Amino acid sequence: MTQALIYALTGAVLFMLGVRATLLRDTLLPRLLALNVCGAGVFLVFVSLAYRGDSMPTDPVPHALVLTGLVVAISATALALALNRRLREMTDE
Amino acid sequence: MNNLLIWPIAVPLFSALLALLWIRRSTWIGVFGTALSLLVVLLVGRQVVESGPIELALGGWTPGLGIALRADGLSLLMLLMSSLVSMAVAVYASVYFSKAERRGEFWVLWLLLITALHALFLSGDLFNLYVTLELLGLSAVVLACLGGSRESLQAALRYLVMGLLGSMAFLIGVALIYAGYGTLDMAALADAIEAGPAAWLALSLMTGGLLIKSALFPLHFWLPPAHANAPAPVSAVLSALVVKAALYLILRLWLSLFDGVVTQAAAVILGLLGAVAVVWGSWAALQAERLKLMAAYSTVAQLGYLFLFLPLLTALPEGAARDVALGALVLLALTHGFAKSAFFLAAGVIMQRAGHDRIAELGGTARALPVTAFTLALAGVALIGLPPSGSFLAKWHLLSSAFITGQYVWLPVIAVGTLLAGAYIFRLLGYAFAPGEGVGPSLSAGREEIPAVLLALIATLLLGFWASAVWELLPISAYVGGGA
Amino acid sequence: MIDLNLTILPDLLLAAMLIGLAWAALSSDDLRRGVVLFIAFGLLLAIVWARLQAPDLALAEAAIGAGLSGALLLVALRDGVAGNETAGKLSRLSRWLVDLFVLIMTCLIGWVLWLTIYAEPVERLAQLANTMLDRSGVSNPVTAVLLNYRAYDTLLELVVVLTAVLGVVVVGRQRRGYRQAGPVFCGLVQWLVPLLVVTAGYLLWVGAHAPGGAFQAGATLAAAGIVLRLAGYDAAGLPDGRLLRWLLVAGTGLFLLIGLGVTLSGGAVLQYPEAWSGSLILLIESAATASIAAALVLAYRGGRPGDWSSAGDRDPNREVST
Repeated sequence: MTQALIYALTGAVLFMLGVRATLLRDTLLPRLLALNVCGAGVFLVFVSLAYRGDSMPTDPVPHALVLTGLVVAISATALALALNRRLREMTDE
Repeated sequence: MNNLLIWPIAVPLFSALLALLWIRRSTWIGVFGTALSLLVVLLVGRQVVESGPIELALGGWTPGLGIALRADGLSLLMLLMSSLVSMAVAVYASVYFSKAERRGEFWVLWLLLITALHALFLSGDLFNLYVTLELLGLSAVVLACLGGSRESLQAALRYLVMGLLGSMAFLIGVALIYAGYGTLDMAALADAIEAGPAAWLALSLMTGGLLIKSALFPLHFWLPPAHANAPAPVSAVLSALVVKAALYLILRLWLSLFDGVVTQAAAVILGLLGAVAVVWGSWAALQAERLKLMAAYSTVAQLGYLFLFLPLLTALPEGAARDVALGALVLLALTHGFAKSAFFLAAGVIMQRAGHDRIAELGGTARALPVTAFTLALAGVALIGLPPSGSFLAKWHLLSSAFITGQYVWLPVIAVGTLLAGAYIFRLLGYAFAPGEGVGPSLSAGREEIPAVLLALIATLLLGFWASAVWELLPISAYVGGGA
Repeated sequence: MIDLNLTILPDLLLAAMLIGLAWAALSSDDLRRGVVLFIAFGLLLAIVWARLQAPDLALAEAAIGAGLSGALLLVALRDGVAGNETAGKLSRLSRWLVDLFVLIMTCLIGWVLWLTIYAEPVERLAQLANTMLDRSGVSNPVTAVLLNYRAYDTLLELVVVLTAVLGVVVVGRQRRGYRQAGPVFCGLVQWLVPLLVVTAGYLLWVGAHAPGGAFQAGATLAAAGIVLRLAGYDAAGLPDGRLLRWLLVAGTGLFLLIGLGVTLSGGAVLQYPEAWSGSLILLIESAATASIAAALVLAYRGGRPGDWSSAGDRDPNREVST
């Protein structure tokens, strides 16, 4: 179970690193990176829970949840970048 | 198994897809789809009233492995509010957006937003709730930036970033729950969760995420610009419904899933934040120079009241007094939903007619737009909490619960909040009913004025006189003992 | 309790590199550097997924998390970043408070995870999910969860993708394309695009019994579109107006219709008849692949396609955009 713990703790650290940067950075792009790192942290927690050693079959449910989460994350990222682009255009005009 | 439950979700979703395909007919599809959604919500309502909570195990898998949809008293009340408000707003929007460039996209996103709201109120699975939260957040953000101004885009972007942060906090809470209890099904969790570090931390993280989304002070900063700069029909649903969705989830978590875990201290903290929100929001609303900004700050304050109930609910022993307080909380949320949407629609009518919404220049509104001025007054009655509105009754029970539990500290907050609300509403009405030319010449009331006044009437009269229905519906619960 | 031996050394190293890359990406003041580090972070994460026996995720992360996110972020660098959207710099005290909060929360979450992982093992859904596999119509357990047990999540997720791409369409105009690529790159494109399309088809097909599926396939197909665009094909392989909208709707629409249609045989919503479930899942996944790919390419291309509402849809009130 040590491996699971290592990655779960890493997930917790990544999650909070993401939260920290989201709160402290003041422009959009770094904040988006931060939110994505945040998400990666949560996903890592889920997947480490699914891991039950190399000899046992893994739990497929967290894997599916993370796959869903990944797609949601990229959708949100794409939307945020589009908003950012429009704002930038308006600033230039 | 009861396939009826999918329809409040499937109808608006299917209409959204149709509206995207036949984008030129989107207005008709939008209004008709909203009406049909209301109809199926009423069908669900009839069944809940007749035969208790309904569960639909999607795919036929046992909930846990699969996902269950559940409807009970609380979700039914939220569904009724959202489908009634959205019906009225849709009629208004069919006029408001009739000449807009992005009309087609508005209707698609509008129907997607209704899909998200209904899916959220019916979901019985924690991870599925995360997906519905994201769907709700994204559709709300896109709708909020339809105004196209720089301010609205900036507000929408901040709304998006804060919403995503909230979702992430919620999701890691879900991960901890799955770690500790091995299921995501809320009915199973309602039985399984017991006090302990895992439950406590998961609840804090999920609540924290939802507090951002429900804009509780000091996490409210994204709300006023986002709600004030969106197109009026969008502001109406953002303020009336979207923030309520997060509040609904907080109630579900605190009262059904984690009821043994919640501590009085935590509830008091939320109550205190709510108290600050009431006073600060009302004060900011009084200072606001624009009508829509005033309405948005008023939303911050009104949400504060709802959080004042939490320390009272946790202090009250299970039984009649607690049921009364819970009913009053839901009643207040519903009244605010109807009143605030009416208020924003009225503001939209004024803004389209006058070309601005500066409060000090609203003289002549009552003469030019009597129905709209009347709407503002009616909605104002509900926002202040005067009889016979639903919020009067709700605040009455809020006061009495504070007396019963001996938590006198909330009394001055309620008093100050109510006085400030009175002040900002009467300040507005003072200008609106004064003579002047700020709004332009008199024109007949049309399709755009009627929906708002109907919503305001529901808030002040219907919810006042038929409030007992709320208390009758709430005990029908899918999560505590009942249908689980 | 912890068996300190050399077998966990690679894991410790991977974990440390993940945290290091994340830290470097997030603290970098140079945006380009930050994005490049973030892409590296995504690739490393794909390795971690493989290490944790999550090959489906490894594929998805490489394609979506690192690949497409990276492509979107890199192209966004061209746009520059809209100014400061928070109100002013934070004071030193509030920075310090944020750091303290982050430290405390990290410790709390870590502590709870520690407690949970070393507590009596909770029987989660693994066994149930694997036992029911025979009845799901596919033999890849992750696909079974995504398209059968929790198919409703996936349906809503397709709706999320649709919503986001509508947002992209609503807010902006189409991005300017690239110049026609030179002969060498065009030659590369001529075999790269078919290869990507074939790979997507393979991933879609194989998802039923091995790692792969609609999302990985959709992302790969989208990569083909992006390559086309980089080579100077402005449309990036997407059809025009009305057909494009059909393509975006196909995944959600077909999923919803099948989910509702199966109730005619007396089951619950989304309860596929067992004999049919394999084929229905493949059908849904094919449509989903097309929609996801179209949405991702559209998001990359950015903005409202010029012919979004085709000539027949145009109405006189609509402003003419140039």
